[in-house]
Amino acid sequence: MNWMAKTRLSNPSATAAKGGPSTTAAAAATSKATAKPGPAASASVAPAGNVRISNALKEFLWLLSDVDRPRILDLGAVSQSTLNFFIAKGFRVSTDDMLHEWKDFLTTEEERMRTAPVGEETERLSLPALAEKFIGTGLDYPEQSVHGILLWDLLDYFDPAVVPALMNRLYSMLHPGGTVLALFHSRPAERFHRYRIMDEQTVELLPAPTLAVHAHVFQNREILDLFGKFRSSKTFVGRDQVREALFIK
Amino acid sequence: MTSATASTPEPPAVPTSTGSSRIHAGLKINGEITGNSDLYIDGELQGKLRLGNAKLVIGPHGKVQADIEAGAITIEGSIQGNVKAGEGVHLGAGSRVQGSILTPRIGIDDGARLRGKVEMVKAGSTASTPATSAPASRTTPVETPRAVAASVKGGE
Repeated sequence: MNWMAKTRLSNPSATAAKGGPSTTAAAAATSKATAKPGPAASASVAPAGNVRISNALKEFLWLLSDVDRPRILDLGAVSQSTLNFFIAKGFRVSTDDMLHEWKDFLTTEEERMRTAPVGEETERLSLPALAEKFIGTGLDYPEQSVHGILLWDLLDYFDPAVVPALMNRLYSMLHPGGTVLALFHSRPAERFHRYRIMDEQTVELLPAPTLAVHAHVFQNREILDLFGKFRSSKTFVGRDQVREALFIK
Repeated sequence: MTSATASTPEPPAVPTSTGSSRIHAGLKINGEITGNSDLYIDGELQGKLRLGNAKLVIGPHGKVQADIEAGAITIEGSIQGNVKAGEGVHLGAGSRVQGSILTPRIGIDDGARLRGKVEMVKAGSTASTPATSAPASRTTPVETPRAVAASVKGGE
């Protein structure tokens, strides 16, 4: 099955018949290529502690399985376990702690404003303008250079005014047919977590020092708008009310 | 290319033997360091660093802007440049690396920050030639994200 065929998420039964992700995963997804993020089935469950079953991860891997040494970009905090996992599968892995970089960028900008000589014209940029400036330096990857992006729940921690610029950048970085795995909290997250992949369907949430407060709960319509350029999507919602989503360029 | 396992290497101890060298905090070096002696850097270095198969430790205050080649590399400070290790790389909790890492083994502590690609190779395949004989033209530019991904497009 080629890459294009794999993106036909609108036919879960056919997907399962062709050896794709388990029928459970395929059948659990109720939003299809045309539906985009809509009502989703209960698929991802947190079975114990901070470990959750991730059908989106399983499908993410399956979507990339036909690509020769796919390149993925992990935008979360670097993790030994996640790195091991992907390298063992032959992936080429890049990491870029986007939220951390963004915070550093804002700090630098604040410092620039604070230390500017008296009388010197210093322009305080709006958040969208700051975002544009950030992606020109902090997410300076060539177009269509990655096959998969692990976005985790990072968008929840960015000001909504910043997110559209980030999304445009991520879209351009993604190879046609490439996929983004994103998580969205349906209520403000109680604390900040890092994500660590344990196996093909298991992700561990590691409590981490609060890098940023939960900024926004994205509603279905907002998610749909954010990923409007993407041609296909599939979502899974767990009992913990975290929505896992896959978007295919 | 990716047959090596990303196993966790033991962090090499800070070199303390008489055969090791130290660049203490407060020192700044601009230039090229070559040799086969273990090295501990807690100061600042800008340039190139080639240590063959010797051990290299970047201390918590160490700031390195250089492409690095060594045997076992432990990073507790910050590096802006490409890292090539013959034995393994260990990123400590306070480390910050911007550039690509080429190594047979890698260990990453929670809290480490890495901005760039990681490529696993078989042990020994990244071993440096004796540092003193390395032509300058073999060094590569720091791999910022754009450079990293560009190399992929070229069918690395």
